[in-house]
Amino acid sequence: MSKIGVFICHCGENISATVDVERVAREIGGMEGVAHAIDYKYMCSDPGQTFIKEAVKKYGLDGVVVGACSPRMHEPTFRRACAEAGLNPYLCEMANLREHCSWVHEKSEETTEKAIDLVKMLVEKVKKNKPLDSIKVPVTKKALVIGGGIAGIQASLDIANTGHKVILVERDPSIGGHMSQLSETFPTLDCSQCILTPRMVEVAQHPNIKLYTYAELESLEGFIGNFKAKIRLKAKSVNYSTCTGCGACIQKCPVKKIPSEFNAGLGTRTAIYVPFPQAVPNKPVIDRVNCNYYKRGACKICEKTCQVGSIEWDKEDEIITEEVGAVVLATGFDVKGTDFFPEYGYGQYKDVLTGLQFERLASASGPTFGEIRRPSDGAVPKKIVFIACAGSRDPAKGIPYCSKICCMYTAKHAMLYQHKVHDGESTVFYMDIRAGGKNYEEFVRRAIEEDTVNYVRGRVARVYEKNGKLIVKGVDTLLGGEQVEIEADMVVLATAGVANCGSEQLAQKLHVSYDPYHFFAEAHPKLKPVETNTAGIYLAGACQAPKDIPETVGMASGAAVKVAALFSNDELVREPVVAVVNRLAPPLYSTCVGCFMCETACPYNAIEHEEIKGRDGSLIRNSARVNQGLCQGCGTCVAFCRSKSIDIQGYTNEQVYAEVMSLLND
Amino acid sequence: MKKLRERAAELLSQGVVSLVLGYEEGTKRPRPLFCRNSVNAEKLIFDSRCIHNLAVYITKKELVGKERFAVTAPISTLRSIMQLFVENQLNEEKLLVLTVDLNGELREFTTFDEIAAYVAQFELKRGEREQELLSKIEGMTREERWKFWMEEMSHCFKCYACRSACPLCYCSKCVVEVNRPQWINPWPAPLANMEWHINRAMHMVGRCTACGACGDACPIGIPIDLITRKMMEDMAPEFGYIPGQPAKQGNALSTWKLDDREQFIR
Repeated sequence: MSKIGVFICHCGENISATVDVERVAREIGGMEGVAHAIDYKYMCSDPGQTFIKEAVKKYGLDGVVVGACSPRMHEPTFRRACAEAGLNPYLCEMANLREHCSWVHEKSEETTEKAIDLVKMLVEKVKKNKPLDSIKVPVTKKALVIGGGIAGIQASLDIANTGHKVILVERDPSIGGHMSQLSETFPTLDCSQCILTPRMVEVAQHPNIKLYTYAELESLEGFIGNFKAKIRLKAKSVNYSTCTGCGACIQKCPVKKIPSEFNAGLGTRTAIYVPFPQAVPNKPVIDRVNCNYYKRGACKICEKTCQVGSIEWDKEDEIITEEVGAVVLATGFDVKGTDFFPEYGYGQYKDVLTGLQFERLASASGPTFGEIRRPSDGAVPKKIVFIACAGSRDPAKGIPYCSKICCMYTAKHAMLYQHKVHDGESTVFYMDIRAGGKNYEEFVRRAIEEDTVNYVRGRVARVYEKNGKLIVKGVDTLLGGEQVEIEADMVVLATAGVANCGSEQLAQKLHVSYDPYHFFAEAHPKLKPVETNTAGIYLAGACQAPKDIPETVGMASGAAVKVAALFSNDELVREPVVAVVNRLAPPLYSTCVGCFMCETACPYNAIEHEEIKGRDGSLIRNSARVNQGLCQGCGTCVAFCRSKSIDIQGYTNEQVYAEVMSLLND
Repeated sequence: MKKLRERAAELLSQGVVSLVLGYEEGTKRPRPLFCRNSVNAEKLIFDSRCIHNLAVYITKKELVGKERFAVTAPISTLRSIMQLFVENQLNEEKLLVLTVDLNGELREFTTFDEIAAYVAQFELKRGEREQELLSKIEGMTREERWKFWMEEMSHCFKCYACRSACPLCYCSKCVVEVNRPQWINPWPAPLANMEWHINRAMHMVGRCTACGACGDACPIGIPIDLITRKMMEDMAPEFGYIPGQPAKQGNALSTWKLDDREQFIR
């Protein structure tokens, strides 16, 4: 007969205030197969654990039930205690008397009876428990970083510097991301490219980093420590091993009027192009959508220009497979365009810009070489209006959240404008100023006090064009709702930061969850900000929510540490809660008949085919087998197996049946 | 029929197959014939009275994996064979399927696709008996239906002839024989009978091809084939399946695809 020990915890008063714990221990103590039952104030404390250890030895217990809190926190604690006393840890189970009982019910007789039932179920289950061993799976010590912005760059460098290999995949022809587009950075006003480009070069030259630009993740299979990533290398049409990056082809390309993505549409580029002069790698790709040859079958001027014959017209997309142990998602964000705002002209007015476009105007590498000029006529604007919270914090626009970076960059924009246009007049319309961060508030005060930027608290209802001027109609809510009308030469919208396009599809490929705005979801909002719900996949930067550069870099380093910690082990230890297909003595070998319905039901591709063969090598039967590395223990296969040939270890049909029957047989 | 006999004799004498599974005249109706030599092939018959589903034999361990054999199959048997292919129970290299088409021509199949192409010409229709009973049952309220089936099932004495006759009940250990835990009470009693029949029905969802063998086999004439048949008719269109046309796309209840047609769930 079983010798089960039952330990009922008061959890301070959390359980004992509503449950008569002494009665629970007393009644359970009288159950068949229970050798020992006690209650104690804090079972998880050192003396509490000692009670368990001593009872295991004294009574020779072959099973332990702890009636306490949710197993999420303390199951490992109690299992460890049992293991230290020499009992297989998987013979210890927890009954959740706190979340499932005391916290959700009033103090009453019935509450205590429910607690007794919960413990009774677990006692019946533990009687059927079998000793299990944890599963060890090897770790591939190579990381995949998706996205080559500052988040991806930082994460890659940090991982690579711990001595592990990194594969960095970037969708665009160059790494750098949004940070490379910025002019100067708050709150110190140092030049964005000056601090970023050395890092980009470091990535390209790092012996541990393999960089794939103009590439996208095709699919990801596998599990923590053992992912298999398929990466699509989009055809660049240029052979990078021979190309010298001289740029002659770019000079000669006749298609010159393509809006430049790097310049946020303010400048133009050619069909064969390098996104910006400091690009890494500094070699061109051909944009096949706009190239004359791919469109009409004739041109090939770049080929004639190229001294080394690097143009590859027939090059096709290539798909490579890489085995990696961890993935860092650093795919960044996007900003809404001006066309999102009917009240500000649907993007029809040339001199209504997004913050990102203003960055390009203010940048030395931009289309105006750093001079603030109107896109419409090239004139220097004498009056400029900045509108913060364009889209953000506006549930009516479907963006109820704060984009977080706009307050700061709007202050920076106004400051840069005042520095560049000395007789200019700048006005910022804002809802609130959110300048939480080191030296941030001081920075905004500097804009207001030293650079005389006119801050108006209120929203802008409309912007329209009249006689070459942009009429900005707003309200000053600090002065009793007074109407404000400004004849501006330029309007800059601090448009909302939104999830990058394709983030939803990417999340589905990776099986990571995302929020209603398609930003990737962290595993815990406070304690697991860089983890996702999928083990082995981590988050860095603005793909999780809009954030500024310091925060992004910090998060990227955080994700890198998680990866490094994972890679510090040669093997991962996993709970043995996985499915197993039974194996029996001949002549049956297994009750599995190999219909493989479980294979079609398994969401993790964990079902494999096994040929059971006789001594003479003849096939006896085809049976299913579970890959314990892939199995997540969800139990879908168990529900599906007609002949009940699959069971989840630790949650077998027999165990769960015993739990249910303990309630029905009262 | 003459062509079938000739071909069977040829296959056996040439050693292409070691067994032809077919029908011969019985006392009241045709019965299965295990034909192992060309002389016996003379006894083979094939006509509309041959309804015994021979697919039930082709998963037996005495036949599987050893020599190649042939089976004569009317449409309903072909459907069962297709489903058995879907469930990975058959080996194309070891099986030859013979049938006689509407023009009296002998047809031979070796692969799932060949059978599928042939079967696709035939729509699965309700027979007179099925139509009559099903429309009666469909007209009942939920409570009346439950009462009807409880009454029918109360006569069952668990001989499991339905299970033996079904070509898709090929498990080496049936759920009724699993006793750790004992899912289904083994004795015949109204509730215990219902446990078995509900289990049987659930195990057939998305698999039954409506051959009717279970109903034919029932010694006390419970129309149990109608349960699985009706479930198939109801389920197939919802999941984009054609009734009686098994497809290698996974079981309706076990698979989920992004472009699933099951709008009724969303």
